[in-house]
Amino acid sequence: MSKKPFLNMDERSKQIAGKVIAIMYFLTIIALQIDVIVRQFVFDQNIHDFEDLAIILTINSLFLITALLYFGAISIQKLKIKFVLIFYAWIVVLGTIFTYLKYNVFTDANLSFSQLMNKLVIIFTISGLIVLFWMLFSILGKRKIDKELD
Amino acid sequence: MNMKLKLARVAKNLSQQELADLVGASRQTIGLIEKGKYNPSLKLCISIAKALDKTLNDLFWEEINHE
Repeated sequence: MSKKPFLNMDERSKQIAGKVIAIMYFLTIIALQIDVIVRQFVFDQNIHDFEDLAIILTINSLFLITALLYFGAISIQKLKIKFVLIFYAWIVVLGTIFTYLKYNVFTDANLSFSQLMNKLVIIFTISGLIVLFWMLFSILGKRKIDKELD
Repeated sequence: MNMKLKLARVAKNLSQQELADLVGASRQTIGLIEKGKYNPSLKLCISIAKALDKTLNDLFWEEINHE
């Protein structure tokens, strides 16, 4: 008599497991974000006290979108320069608004114009690198699928 | 409810568990397919059709009555 594996996962159980894992991942990320906000604005902790969480969240989001692009969950048929530039502009605008709010509204840092400009240079550079990174992986993902189709 | 699948399985003298073992699925999955509460993948449909010596049409095609 053949022994059945203890964990016999068929396509339905894999599907359910995938959904449950995705929901739990989403809730964990939300919980971590709430934790960072509470630490910063309720407990007035120094940014160094929760920097590790912020880095984990940033890297996680970055790699989540990268994986979605590479494995074809976000399928981009053709990369148009106009679309990439608009996307880049949106990231820069959001980054600028976030930075302004962070330093001039939520905290009393009140950045001077030159300090804000320095931050802007960082935002422009990092946003550019992120867009290039995602572009690279969407191209690699498309190539992977095309290779499988050949 | 997918009566065609249930009838074909019974006609072959197979229990849900035996059919599940033949196609590499769980008994619950076969039960849910028969109840019409789970949409199997085409791959699983083909495996089930082969195990029961039927075509996909025999098991999964729903006739629409236009009258």
